[in-house]
Amino acid sequence: MTRLLPRRLPATAVAFVVFGLLFAFATIRSPDFASASHIRQLLVFASFVGFAALGQTLVILGGGLDLSVPWVMALGGIQLSIWTGDGMSSALGVVLLVLVGAGIGTISGLGVTALRIPPIVMTIGMGGLVLGYLMRVGLGSSTAASAPAAAERLVNDTLLGLPLIAYVWLAFALAAAWLLRRTGFGRALYATGANETVARLAGSRVAAVRVAAYAASGAASAFAGILLSGYVGQTYLNMGAPYLFSSIAAVAVGGASVLGGSGSYWGTVAGACTLTVLAALLPTFNLDAAWLNIVYGLVILLAVGVNRIAARGVAA
Amino acid sequence: MSALAASVRDAGVSLKRLPRGEWGTPLLLATLIVVDVSIQPALLDVTQIGLLIQTALVAVLLATAQTLAVLTRGVDLSVGSVLVVTDVLTATKLGGLEGDRLALLPLVLAAGAAIGLLNGALIAYGGLEPFVATLATWAIFDGVALLVLPTDGGAPPQQLTNLAIGETAGIPNSYIGLALVLLAWLALRRSPLGVRALAIGSDAERAFLNGINVRRTKLIVYALGGFVAGIAGVYLAASTSTGVPTAGDGLLLPSLAAVVIGGTSLAGGRGGVGLSVMGVFVLVFIGDLVAALQLPSWVATVASAAMLLIVVSLRSLPQVLARKETA
Amino acid sequence: MSGGARTTQAQPIVDRPSPFGAGDGDGLRVAGLDKSYGPVAVLAGVELHARPGEIHAVLGENGAGKSTLMKVLSGVIGADAGHVSLDGAPLALGSPDAARAHGIRTVFQELSLVPDLSVAESLLLERLPTRPPGLIGRRRLLRDAAALLERAGIAGVDPRRRVRELSLATRQQLELAKALRTPPRVLILDEATSALGPAESEWALAHARAQARAGAVVLMISHRIAEVRGHADRLTILRSGRSVATGQPGDFDDDGLIEAMLGRRVERLYPERRPAGAQVVLRARGLHVHGAFGPEDLELHAGEILGVGGLEGQGQRALMLALAGAVPWHGQLELDGRPLHHRSPRAAIAHGIVLVPEDRQAEGLLLSHSIRSNIALSSVARLRGRLGAIDRGREAEATAREARGVGLDAARLGEPARNLSGGNQQKVVLARALMTQPRVLLLYDCTRGIDVGSKADIMAALAELTARGVAVVHYSSDAAELVHLCHRVLVVRGGRIAGVLAGERLAEEELLHLAVGTRGGREEAAA
Repeated sequence: MTRLLPRRLPATAVAFVVFGLLFAFATIRSPDFASASHIRQLLVFASFVGFAALGQTLVILGGGLDLSVPWVMALGGIQLSIWTGDGMSSALGVVLLVLVGAGIGTISGLGVTALRIPPIVMTIGMGGLVLGYLMRVGLGSSTAASAPAAAERLVNDTLLGLPLIAYVWLAFALAAAWLLRRTGFGRALYATGANETVARLAGSRVAAVRVAAYAASGAASAFAGILLSGYVGQTYLNMGAPYLFSSIAAVAVGGASVLGGSGSYWGTVAGACTLTVLAALLPTFNLDAAWLNIVYGLVILLAVGVNRIAARGVAA
Repeated sequence: MSALAASVRDAGVSLKRLPRGEWGTPLLLATLIVVDVSIQPALLDVTQIGLLIQTALVAVLLATAQTLAVLTRGVDLSVGSVLVVTDVLTATKLGGLEGDRLALLPLVLAAGAAIGLLNGALIAYGGLEPFVATLATWAIFDGVALLVLPTDGGAPPQQLTNLAIGETAGIPNSYIGLALVLLAWLALRRSPLGVRALAIGSDAERAFLNGINVRRTKLIVYALGGFVAGIAGVYLAASTSTGVPTAGDGLLLPSLAAVVIGGTSLAGGRGGVGLSVMGVFVLVFIGDLVAALQLPSWVATVASAAMLLIVVSLRSLPQVLARKETA
Repeated sequence: MSGGARTTQAQPIVDRPSPFGAGDGDGLRVAGLDKSYGPVAVLAGVELHARPGEIHAVLGENGAGKSTLMKVLSGVIGADAGHVSLDGAPLALGSPDAARAHGIRTVFQELSLVPDLSVAESLLLERLPTRPPGLIGRRRLLRDAAALLERAGIAGVDPRRRVRELSLATRQQLELAKALRTPPRVLILDEATSALGPAESEWALAHARAQARAGAVVLMISHRIAEVRGHADRLTILRSGRSVATGQPGDFDDDGLIEAMLGRRVERLYPERRPAGAQVVLRARGLHVHGAFGPEDLELHAGEILGVGGLEGQGQRALMLALAGAVPWHGQLELDGRPLHHRSPRAAIAHGIVLVPEDRQAEGLLLSHSIRSNIALSSVARLRGRLGAIDRGREAEATAREARGVGLDAARLGEPARNLSGGNQQKVVLARALMTQPRVLLLYDCTRGIDVGSKADIMAALAELTARGVAVVHYSSDAAELVHLCHRVLVVRGGRIAGVLAGERLAEEELLHLAVGTRGGREEAAA
């Protein structure tokens, strides 16, 4: 396991420490916080953010940003329910949608690398196309559609007291860590995000890793949307909306630089857990759900600010 | 150099003054207008056009705010959230059960400017990248708007509504609104502030060499953008007679699309609000055509997004191809 | 390199009396000026005294500190220590505006015209003319700009055009017109004629002379020795951030100037030069980078260190980047007899050609990453073990080996690269390149600004490398280094090879003469 621990130990470790402190604080405030059922629930929520942020992490590490996450998530949930409603096996549907998500991401990546379109513009545009398609598919903003049974099982069934989805998440986290730390792809991705010119001159496959990161983001977002629809039991157009901010905030809180080049998926995991705890804390302070948005924004500012100060301190 | 060579060179120089590639958007807009009008001849009426402009005015204002940020080589992801803040404030604080309190309007507008000021401070003095700072404020102020007005509702003052959708001397006020926006832009473009903002977007280091206070100028530009986006929110509340705290998120894409389609360079330094207004109307006419052809509304969404991507690709293409030729 | 705006032949008239008097003050005095970037001292106690009414040239080879000095005087950067005074009064040069307030006007080497503004806006940007409501009067703007152009003697430039559309030569002329907007107390010309042909250069220098006659102090940086001799009244020579000589141009002959600029070198720094092989490793025919270099032919032999010299910005960068596959190039390239068509650095590295880039901090290193991963960056594919994952053990071993080979402390490989000194950082980039086991190593000014010890380590590594038959192309701004390290040297001027020096002709004076064009070579500076 030690070989998979990120080299940037300080930032990721700090993220986990922050999470730990926050969790302890929450437990002190309301003892039920640490109850088994509540932890299960938190893990499920955190895994949604975690998956939405999986691809976002890769994209940000490579120096980009993916603003199409909420729409691809919605696509995952909505399209799967349509297909399973038409009789397709949900397993096939999931695989296809992950591929579709990857395809959407690939187009974004190609636009960013080959045509030098700014990531914000490219991914907002792709998001708009997906939104248009979803509007065509005919589901209004709160029409319920049946969620696939498999997705429901993943989030509701447990193994050894933890929801199945937590194990799936762990598996992906290990895979992501391996990918980032131990492969040429990971090296090239970090290099590209840190300094694209250096990476290119040193022979890294700058364009390929960028496109792959966006493709992964699309795939992960689609998968996250499927999971979410399983949990909520229905699908609707705006189901992915909160995940735009939370995916980016999770990456930032996890210690990654929003400009790219440093960070880890473990950090994002800690970030997702932290954000989930924060969200759960709000009701205990009698704070509206609207405060969640405010929290996301403040957290992003805080994380970026701390990151900048820390980076300055490290410089010899 | 011989006189002949010199005169040949000079002739070449004057030919280059034809605007390159900037005829695309006007041509596109003209085509759309022609097609739309031929399908709906009834459109050629002062009141009808006034209504069209009225629905476009919110987008015009947001595109203006976005243009300001983009001209300085930045971006403003929070334009939508500034809009909803002033929108809900207009719906709840200015109007409502206790009667109209229009005197508070300047405060509402100041709120928009204050958010813009915050953006500017984070970017210019905090050193944050524009996309990060405005992403964060987008989130924060979306939340603030929901706190002020959790669900659609509220009652903007009737006077504002009358102003927004009324007429002055027989001309719908929306014409006046549009004209004011364009005039204000012209004034800005002709002011030292405007030139300095463009200089910063073009080349911040050289702007500094010329004695421009880069930080302060950026701060002011973002504050102005917030102010304009705030006006958009007041206008939206007034013209729809209600407050909608979630209206902002869907308006970010059109604001960016309008800027891109209009032709303002995303790298800063070139372009302007006039171009972005053209971009807005391209989107407006696409939407109008879609409605006139009785196509479902998703067609407009897809067309707008597709237009954005196509135009930005086409604009990038010459540079990308050129880089394959030269060092 | 032509295409400037037409200039009027009339002698420029300084039509406003200088508000600073007839120029009988003490002039500009610079004493003890220091400026360092980290451990690298760019200015180390510069002394300068330029009197009013004189054109004072500042000479020195690349990296001597001339431009840094000009930037300090222009208020662009601050010095770490030292005094600057004008006519006895100390100057506070905290910003470009402050410098201008003191009457210091600068023609910047990199030009200060903002590319996307119109000529008129760019010329008058420091102080835009406004009318009461606070707006810029467009007609007045154009009129003032036209008047400025006319007074400067520039014809045929439409003030409404965008600066970006104009040629570099025209822009340089505009930069001078801009500087002359108000009568200067000190006029600084930093390579103000570098893009200009003979007629336009005369025009620019006539302006300089007119300002001097009106009582200003005129500082002029130029590499054109002929220009200096023809127009400067006195000169100061900088070397390694210090003033090493001052006097009148007549006090020095060409050789004397060059010698003062170069100074004495530590010759035992360089390893013994083994003879190069005869086998041609790399052959280029008609190598051409559009608008920057060529077409030229060249050959590189096994075990040879081929130097590339010349003044900065003459096309060497294009040449090196083309060989490295980093910019589009045309022509024919052969490696060991096989044709090459590489279009990316990745492809070049795969063929065995690798570049150590110019700017180690911006182009060479990932500063926040560890030294080890920096060294391994170009060779990741070769370190793969089971399941395609990077074998950490192999990586550690290979990087440590390369690190030792360039004299780096293998124990520090886990630290971030930004912790290292400039010399050690350069070694990291070199180690990364060497780890790719290249056939051809391209070095871009890799010894600039690093300490003697690191230089020695790098030289030793190169010696070992060439002994194994690897060929090296070594671009350096250090003429002595080129002479003592390289077998042959290509001197690049104006995008072409001005000459190839080898054997007895390979000497510093020859190099510099070819570089500045004061002696022979394949062609005179083109108009």
